Amino acid sequence: MMATPPAASFGSDRGANQRKRAEWSMTLPLMAGLAIFAGYPLVYLVLLAFSRSDLGQQFQGFVGLENFDWALSGTNFSGSVGHAILFALIVSLVQLALGLYLAVILSKIVRGGRWLRTIVLLPLMTPPVMVGIAWKLILNPSGGWLNGILLRTGLIDDPISFFGNHDLAFPAIMLADTWQWTPLIVNLCFAILQGVPHDVEEAAALDGAYPKRIFWTVTLPMIAPALLSVYLLRVIMALKTFDLVYTLTFGGPGNATNIATFEIWKTALREFDVGLAAAQTLMFAITVSVVTLPIVLLHNHLEKRR
Amino acid sequence: MTASVQDTRTDRLIRFGFLAAMLIFFALPIVYLFSTSFKTPDDVLQGRLLPEAATLKNYPNAFAHVPVLRMIWNSVAVALLSGVITLVIAVPATYATIKLGAFRRTVPNITLASYAAPPIIALIPLFYLLQTAQLMDSIPGLALVHGLMNLPVAFWLLKSFVSDIPAEIDEAAWIDGAGYWHTLFAVILPLIFPGILATALICIILSYNEFLFASALTFSEASRTITVGMSLFQGERLVNFGQMAAASFTGMVPIYLIAFLFQKHLVGGLTQGSIK
Repeated sequence: MMATPPAASFGSDRGANQRKRAEWSMTLPLMAGLAIFAGYPLVYLVLLAFSRSDLGQQFQGFVGLENFDWALSGTNFSGSVGHAILFALIVSLVQLALGLYLAVILSKIVRGGRWLRTIVLLPLMTPPVMVGIAWKLILNPSGGWLNGILLRTGLIDDPISFFGNHDLAFPAIMLADTWQWTPLIVNLCFAILQGVPHDVEEAAALDGAYPKRIFWTVTLPMIAPALLSVYLLRVIMALKTFDLVYTLTFGGPGNATNIATFEIWKTALREFDVGLAAAQTLMFAITVSVVTLPIVLLHNHLEKRR
Repeated sequence: MTASVQDTRTDRLIRFGFLAAMLIFFALPIVYLFSTSFKTPDDVLQGRLLPEAATLKNYPNAFAHVPVLRMIWNSVAVALLSGVITLVIAVPATYATIKLGAFRRTVPNITLASYAAPPIIALIPLFYLLQTAQLMDSIPGLALVHGLMNLPVAFWLLKSFVSDIPAEIDEAAWIDGAGYWHTLFAVILPLIFPGILATALICIILSYNEFLFASALTFSEASRTITVGMSLFQGERLVNFGQMAAASFTGMVPIYLIAFLFQKHLVGGLTQGSIK
């Protein structure tokens, strides 16, 4: 702790001291908590990544860049990072579009809006593992609701195995993800729309502009920075996706739905190669920053222009 | 609405259609899961929305097959304990950062950075940490991990509630000679109670729903959570869908109860915290 108080702008030295003490005692637990949850893991991972380590025995020897090299050349890691980025960018965009449109509709509803927003809230609250189970029931080849409908209407002759099909498995996971997270976007966009000052829109309306045109030319540019923040938040969250892949496809068929978090999990807890998993994790963390950086920059740019 | 030009009828029809489609989309998986929990194995294979001959047997059978209630209890215990850990750490820190200006830039930056990092980063190191601390496979161990995990979320949710308090209020308390900790407890806490409640609810739900850490850090019946237990159903060769649906639905009840009881607080917390 500091021995000397900073500029004595807050009364006596004693008062400044007291304030410093309060600041430290109030924030120190948070710093310590984050140090345990984020700081220590990062240091530990760096050490693991440069060593030969398995789950039972870590740090068996320094191996230089061997783990990084092997992760890129000998494993499915780079493909899984590509899958993760593709997944995050696509689901976030689809969910932002659906969520914004739904929020616009809900904001026009005068009565019963709160009741509707509760229904919309339920998917968001559902544990992701149960989301996986619910969607498995809907899409299952035997006894799935969708296959039942398609078979009964004669659109297909044989049930479709959505999660066993190389081309359909990823869209199926995206569908479940969209079900779970669009509600969050709806709620955020709803709040953003509530914050739009009405006078500008009303002025445009008095000029005879159609509501649709007002939305595209007046409202949307105003809320663009806020929408970009929502998109950024959703991309960051989507890059963490793990549960849905675990419950729905286990990365399969083949490696069709193998995303980075799942690949790392497999390397660490199924193949027990913790050193390799650490190298993968570090490279994935760097990728996450690189992917989110352009969105942050664009957001700052839009924010500044206002 | 006072708009001088009204939407056309087609516009309204499209909007209504989209709203209806989305509501069905949101409700369908939950309804189908609920309905499947009353189906016999033969009934399941029909793939119809409603069971033909509803049975109540799936519930007792599922409870006999896996300790569903025990796992829900474990999840609830972890969630509540982790919520307490998160709030005890986050509330004073948020107050000090926003109102006292302590580490005004550092704290928001490190919380944001820790939130952006995928949790898989922390998995392996925390695995060893819990092993060393003798907290592996225990409710306090997982609660501690979840409690720390939710710190960034709690900070950002609480931040907006604390910022909304006019500066005069706590400054008046300081001038009256109240200590900073005393001001926090006696003046600030009552004012931001709705925010604390919303934050607590969101952190509790996040912990209850969490799977990655729970699956790696709990494995015995005494501490395994419901999300881990439900994932084990997946590994079985012959899945009884009716029982799986019954167990899943039971596991979702505590969360849906919170959603219905505290709907107003939840929506307020979600939106206020993340927009500002």
